[in-house]
Amino acid sequence: MNAPSWFPRVSVVMALGILSATACSRRGGCSGEYCGTFVIAGTGEVTTLLPPVSDASIDRDVFDQIFLRLADLAPGGGTIGDAGFVPQLAHSWEWTDPLTLVFHLDPRARWQDGPEVTAADVVFTFDAYTDSAIASGDRTALSHIVSVTTPDSLTAVFRFRDRYPEMFFDAVFHMRILPAHLLANVPRGTWQTAEFGRAPVGDGPYRFVRWTQGQTLELTADSTFFLGRPHLRRVIWRFASDLNTAITQVVAGEADAVEVLITPPNIKRAQDAGHLTLYPYDGATYTFLEFNFRANGDASRPHPIFADADVRRALVLATDRPSMLQSVFAGHAKIPPGPMPQQWKWLWVPELTVPPYDTAQAAQLLAARGWRDTNRDGVRDRGGKKLSFHLMVPSSSAVRQQYALLLQAQLKAVGVEVLIDQMERAAMDERVQSGGFDAVLESWNTDPTPTASVPGIWGTGGGSNYGHYASPTFDRQVAAATSATTPEAAKAAWIAAFGTLAHDAPGIMLFSVDNIAAVDSRVADVRIRPDSWWALLWTWRIPPGKLNERDRVGG
Amino acid sequence: MTFASWLTLLATVAWTAAVVAWSRRVARRARRDSGRRFFRHPTAAAGLAVLVLLATLALCAPLVAPVLPSTQLNITALQNRPPSWQYPLGTDLYSRDVWSRLVYGARVSLGVGTLGMLVAVSLGGMVGATAGYFRGWVDGVLMRFVDVGLSVPRIFLVLAAIAVWERLGVGPLILLLGLTGWFATSRIVRAEVLTLRERPFTDAARSLGAGPWRVIARHIVPNAAAPLIVSAALGIGSMLLLETGLSFLGVGIQPPQPSWGNMIADGRDQLTVAPWISLFPGLAIALVVMALNAVGDALRDALDPRDGT
Amino acid sequence: MLPWLLRRAAAGIAIVFAVVTLTFAAVHLAPGKPFLPPEGRPANPAAIERLKTAFGLDQPLPVQYVRYLAALAHGELGESFSRRRPVAEMIGNALPNTVLLAGTALLLDFALGIAIGVFQAARVRRRADVALTNLTLFFYSLPTFWLGLVLLLVFAQWLHWFPVGGPTDPVLHDSLPLLGRLLDRLRHLALPALTLGLVGAGGTARFQRAALLEALGQDYVRTARAKGLPERAVLVRHALRDALLPVISLLGLALPFLLTGAVLVETVFSWPGLGKLAADAISTRDYPVVLGTTLLVSTAVVIGSLVADVITAAADPRIRLSA
Repeated sequence: MNAPSWFPRVSVVMALGILSATACSRRGGCSGEYCGTFVIAGTGEVTTLLPPVSDASIDRDVFDQIFLRLADLAPGGGTIGDAGFVPQLAHSWEWTDPLTLVFHLDPRARWQDGPEVTAADVVFTFDAYTDSAIASGDRTALSHIVSVTTPDSLTAVFRFRDRYPEMFFDAVFHMRILPAHLLANVPRGTWQTAEFGRAPVGDGPYRFVRWTQGQTLELTADSTFFLGRPHLRRVIWRFASDLNTAITQVVAGEADAVEVLITPPNIKRAQDAGHLTLYPYDGATYTFLEFNFRANGDASRPHPIFADADVRRALVLATDRPSMLQSVFAGHAKIPPGPMPQQWKWLWVPELTVPPYDTAQAAQLLAARGWRDTNRDGVRDRGGKKLSFHLMVPSSSAVRQQYALLLQAQLKAVGVEVLIDQMERAAMDERVQSGGFDAVLESWNTDPTPTASVPGIWGTGGGSNYGHYASPTFDRQVAAATSATTPEAAKAAWIAAFGTLAHDAPGIMLFSVDNIAAVDSRVADVRIRPDSWWALLWTWRIPPGKLNERDRVGG
Repeated sequence: MTFASWLTLLATVAWTAAVVAWSRRVARRARRDSGRRFFRHPTAAAGLAVLVLLATLALCAPLVAPVLPSTQLNITALQNRPPSWQYPLGTDLYSRDVWSRLVYGARVSLGVGTLGMLVAVSLGGMVGATAGYFRGWVDGVLMRFVDVGLSVPRIFLVLAAIAVWERLGVGPLILLLGLTGWFATSRIVRAEVLTLRERPFTDAARSLGAGPWRVIARHIVPNAAAPLIVSAALGIGSMLLLETGLSFLGVGIQPPQPSWGNMIADGRDQLTVAPWISLFPGLAIALVVMALNAVGDALRDALDPRDGT
Repeated sequence: MLPWLLRRAAAGIAIVFAVVTLTFAAVHLAPGKPFLPPEGRPANPAAIERLKTAFGLDQPLPVQYVRYLAALAHGELGESFSRRRPVAEMIGNALPNTVLLAGTALLLDFALGIAIGVFQAARVRRRADVALTNLTLFFYSLPTFWLGLVLLLVFAQWLHWFPVGGPTDPVLHDSLPLLGRLLDRLRHLALPALTLGLVGAGGTARFQRAALLEALGQDYVRTARAKGLPERAVLVRHALRDALLPVISLLGLALPFLLTGAVLVETVFSWPGLGKLAADAISTRDYPVVLGTTLLVSTAVVIGSLVADVITAAADPRIRLSA
């Protein structure tokens, strides 16, 4: 560090000299309320910017800026009924009968290339989202809607098949309205690779500017946006390969915000940086150990260990979840009493509790089921077979690897051997989906409502139920919850379902993280929605007195 | 670290010093002067000392490591602790003693590196000598094969291997490292042999009626030994480095078994808050490779039939 | 010379063909399939089926292989699974970044390496030589990405002398004057190029020193010395010429090191080059991108080794081009 140290220092001095020289010559630039360049450090890169064909989370973040929904969730709004929603493209709506919902579009809404947004666009969008050729992930959620029709250019009428609590949510949340005049002639089979996805035109607060592969995506504010001119003039996503790199960029002042910090060391780094403000909000993910009820690689046979409910319960009892949580998150997460993230606040009720940490009872249960350490090697056995299983964990997730090691140490204490298979995610997904595993650490990123993910992961025959848990009682309770007509009835049914789940122990619920975003302190009016981090970005602002070089440049 | 482990560590250092001093004396007394030439190299003794020390530590790991490498001391109170008397190299995110992991990791890393290198250098040496000596179509075929090997990024070769094995044990891992690591050696050896076979002494041997294998064995190999030894010394290093890279992809040595590679990988995300987790295994790798090179250099001078200077 | 070149060119094409075939088999055999759902989101089997059909993955493997070769013959590299755009365009975007990084690193590597090696050989076993031996050894002995991480930590995160990654400043670059843009690029280039260059130079210097010493021990050098030529002339005119040979063959080998060894360095410094492109493509099983980058790298390596051979031949008249 000593010998060649003059070199970088000189180059830095020169660079600073040049930069400040240019800064002086350009002083003036942009000034006032509507400047501001906001750089988001994103994890991963955008896939395609045509909404129905992508559900990658960074893609959704960008959709939020470019495209509008008919109505959107209010911060903290519930998904049952329509009280939790605020107008977006539709300035109002009414129910003409229990199965018919009428939206009145805001006449001020314009596509960024000029034409008005009309009800025909809504019809086109519904048709696209439900087209099997496009195979949108939201097709199932839209299956309750029979048709969308247009009595006039500013009215869209939704007809439903049946009555249920989240009708309004389904009508507005999944679809981002698309410009029919630009997409009608694009063959549906080619939407996955359509040119539009690389240079989208929308109706939201921001316009697409450019996407520099592997580096950045740049948007610019639409100063004529009908709901109000966005204060931040430019929004730039910087693609980082992992969260750690993203945080490093923000801490170094080369980006302005990162949506989550997750671990205590990251939180400390952000705090120590001095120029960042931390904004906590409810997390949307929960993480659990999933047991495979069927034999590893052979779905026709029961799993030799996990098919036994008492063994599963014993394993739940043998894990010291509070200590693990303290070790990994130092208080910045909660232990979920069911398959739930923090954003389902209304389900975090005292009726649902986390089973205690009780190794004595765990040992007793295991011994009662015939698992004893007969050969004194520290691992229980039964009929010559060791109580030993493989635990899969993705190599991309440091937190889950940490949990895997902690679980390994804790289960060892009750005579259970855990072999950790750290796997690349592509390989792991394939193994999980084909049933080639004993147990896996899964993290689930949920919608604002349990309606889709809970039956999907835990329901009999659910699309993501890779552990093959099957309980008619649980299925019945979930069905009651999704068809309940009042929030109270839905809540009671969900609680009953989660109680069944806790009793059957198809997995060990490990943690639901607190989300904490780090945002540069010069940004004011920061509000973050748990289900959609940057959805309110267009209302954030940088006070004129706090504008820096980056904010003013090129104005 | 307990008093006992500090004592054993001290004993190991003393033992290392004794071994080096002893070998020096033996070298000085020996009739052939190659031993003396070895120690004339300024860094040879230091390199030898490092290797002896680390090999001893690896062999006696249970004595010098206060705890097992997978032991999580206290998952809430002892994470990411900086170095101290009790934990001389600090603790990692999982509250494991970095010193114990380093010592146990030496077993895995040095073992994998050495064995992988042996496979690679013997293969590379054989192919290189054959190609360089026979030239013509043999050379053509072998070197084109080497070209293919060198043209495929090694990461793809490794991926292909994983496709076949999926879960790599230590044995297959060594084979994989060896089988994908000999291409460069064979080129270097071939280049050396190409110039050697044009030298007057090989011509002379040939004109005296020596067969090709005899020429290779008696004249080429001894003269090509120098680059082969350099290549072997560097080879262990590159094996260690590759193991590190594989651990980064999550396909190297599986946890909780420690290797210097997966230790660096474990500490990567903690680099800003607990740099010691990645720092020490990285330095250990550098130290070993340096020592290997110093010893390899000294050996080269010592073995050179002609006097180097 | 010309027939030899033609033969080598033909052999080169065969090598590239073999590499492509091997890689094609490897990526398709590797566990894990393309079109991963986003982390923690449900898989959408219908969409995956659509995508498979759209990209021809529903065909049997031999058909896919023949189709790929046919497209290749027309100069088509296909479309990326994960970025939904032509692979050629993606490589075209990444290549200049890699060439810039690898070129700078190669320059550092060989300029520094050969200079240090010669400097050392000229004063063998003196204090400077010993010090440099240890220093070059140290750098050569480091895991490249580990050095990158440490440089990043010290010079970017602690001292703030350099940016933490990327090829340019994402906000200011375009609005800077020409000189400012150049400096911005240099500042971003410094750490990754230094990481690759230092590790490479360590190896090159060691190799150069060893080769020179080897050459200095040869009979013809002794003869030259015996003739009373000054040591400098012996070193440069006789020994160096001979000793550059193995170093030149090293140049051909340096290319794959820089192009693929850069994978982790590009990742550490968020450098959008070929290495990062390939690494990302491998982890998302983006077959066309993996194949495209492999094709490019192997072609470059084949050409590099051809050039190295030609230079070697030109430098050493004792070797006839007859392979």
